[in-house]
Amino acid sequence: MSAAAVQVDGLLKVFDVPEREAGLLAATKGLVRRKTRAVRAVDEISFSIEPGEVVGFLGPNGAGKTTTLKMLSGLLYPSGGEALVLGHVPSKRQRGFLSRITLVMGNRNQLQWDLPALDSYELNRAIYRIPREQFEPTRDELIELLDIGDLVRKPVRNLSLGERMKAEIVGALLHRPQVLFLDEPTIGLDVTMQKRIRAFVADYNARYGATVLLTSHYMADVEALCKRVVVIHHGRILYDGPLTGLADQFAAYKTIGVAVENGNADLSRYGEVIHTEGDWITLRVPKADTSSVTARLLTEEHVLDLNVEDPPIEDVIELVFAQERPE
Amino acid sequence: MRAELVGAGGVVERNAYLTRRYIWWDVAWFIWTVANTLTIVFIAKGVESSGVEFDVNQYMTYLLIGAVVWAYLGVLFGFLMETVAWERWEGTIEYTFMAPLSRAMHLAGQGVFAILYGIVRAVFLFGVCALFFSLSMPDANFVAALVVLSVASISFIGIGIMTSVLPLISPEKGTQLGFIAQGTLLVVSGVYYPVSVLPDWMQFLAKFSPATYALEGIRGAIIDGDGLSQMGDEIGPLILIGAVSIPLGLWVFRRGELYAKRHGKLKRSG
Repeated sequence: MSAAAVQVDGLLKVFDVPEREAGLLAATKGLVRRKTRAVRAVDEISFSIEPGEVVGFLGPNGAGKTTTLKMLSGLLYPSGGEALVLGHVPSKRQRGFLSRITLVMGNRNQLQWDLPALDSYELNRAIYRIPREQFEPTRDELIELLDIGDLVRKPVRNLSLGERMKAEIVGALLHRPQVLFLDEPTIGLDVTMQKRIRAFVADYNARYGATVLLTSHYMADVEALCKRVVVIHHGRILYDGPLTGLADQFAAYKTIGVAVENGNADLSRYGEVIHTEGDWITLRVPKADTSSVTARLLTEEHVLDLNVEDPPIEDVIELVFAQERPE
Repeated sequence: MRAELVGAGGVVERNAYLTRRYIWWDVAWFIWTVANTLTIVFIAKGVESSGVEFDVNQYMTYLLIGAVVWAYLGVLFGFLMETVAWERWEGTIEYTFMAPLSRAMHLAGQGVFAILYGIVRAVFLFGVCALFFSLSMPDANFVAALVVLSVASISFIGIGIMTSVLPLISPEKGTQLGFIAQGTLLVVSGVYYPVSVLPDWMQFLAKFSPATYALEGIRGAIIDGDGLSQMGDEIGPLILIGAVSIPLGLWVFRRGELYAKRHGKLKRSG
């Protein structure tokens, strides 16, 4: 059995996507001979996640994140390669696997729309065979942690998006899964609700030692929860390492914030001025020139304060996502 | 096994909650079914008014049994088709298929609820329409009729499972394709006329339809007062078809699920 909670080796998913030109003639031809194009949605990716680790899985829309999560959850069969989750092959649907994982998709629901969440929780209790003496305290604890005591008796259709998401998370965690696949769990939520869900995931991870693979377009989610990130684009992994190392690998520049005695000084000869606020001027300089520019600033200007930073993580991610698919 | 049955029981319970949630819509739908059934039974009155001499009470009962069994079949197929189609629409399909419950027990839960709900509905439908026409059924053996319907349900469930796979492999039009199976059973099984009036090749097909034996058995029990001991020709084939159709249905469904998981079709609509 693999020691890693999630082990992925050369995982591949190819979809045959139908294609045709516009127009009636092309549509008629398509009846006889259908053209398809093989799309490598996930292109032989490999990574592993240790038990208890929280990993951010980043990529633009269509990068292959959800396809990967679905393969790891057993909802989609791989075209090639191997995946092991808690030592199980997901596509085999073994009970020991299914009852120890969960998948939360921000734009999907497991709770019945027309029923109060409590009724759906009861169904989960039966299906996941949760003993009542475990089920009730877990349910009540999760409800309390997410502060939805007043909401779980209303039909889910009457809840707001944020309320529904919290109720979904309770439903997904009733069986205390050891591996959480979280696909955009904070999508569409307001900032307060996002923070609350982040704090809850961190708490669940700390309390139960759960392994978490998180996708999110909100970098605040990733920064708050993940020390490590895996970046996928065009189905291939571009980066797998510490979040802090992303900028080293992908950002070609750093930012230098500087306050000088003469607040109106023109500092454009040191680098691109990207922001000015009062005396504080932010410069963008090529990474290789950072040391020399800093030294020049300190010798040539009356510097009151100065700091050197990597660009914001959002900017780095944008740079990564802008990369073309390698042929 | 006990734990699997608990899971199947959970599916039955969920369907019960959902039915309770929309009970008044079910009542409205029931009224529509009553109207539809009355329309069919009135055909006997129409024929009588044309001057043809026949036992109109018996013919009305004959048509009523056909309409009720047909409505029952519609409920069963509807629930099983919804196993996929409804969950796809609700957006819960991925979670249902990710749940640690064997597919056989998942479908058994759907099937058991469909049978329970369908039988209650069929009994009410039959009662309301029989009262409306003041039909006389002096020899009726209702217990035997219910037993035949219950045994037939196993075969219906097997066929229903086979058709429920259609929305799985064709998310857009699969549900409509399921009506082909229902339509085929309708035309060959003698729902509103004896199978003997059909062309030979259709009569051959009728031998494979559980509805044929269910209708013959129920009509025998209600019109002629046949007991179970006289229904070997109906119950035997029903058990045989059930024994084949359930495993075959599960096998077909598993193949469909495999196909859906290979081609990424296990996802919500829209």
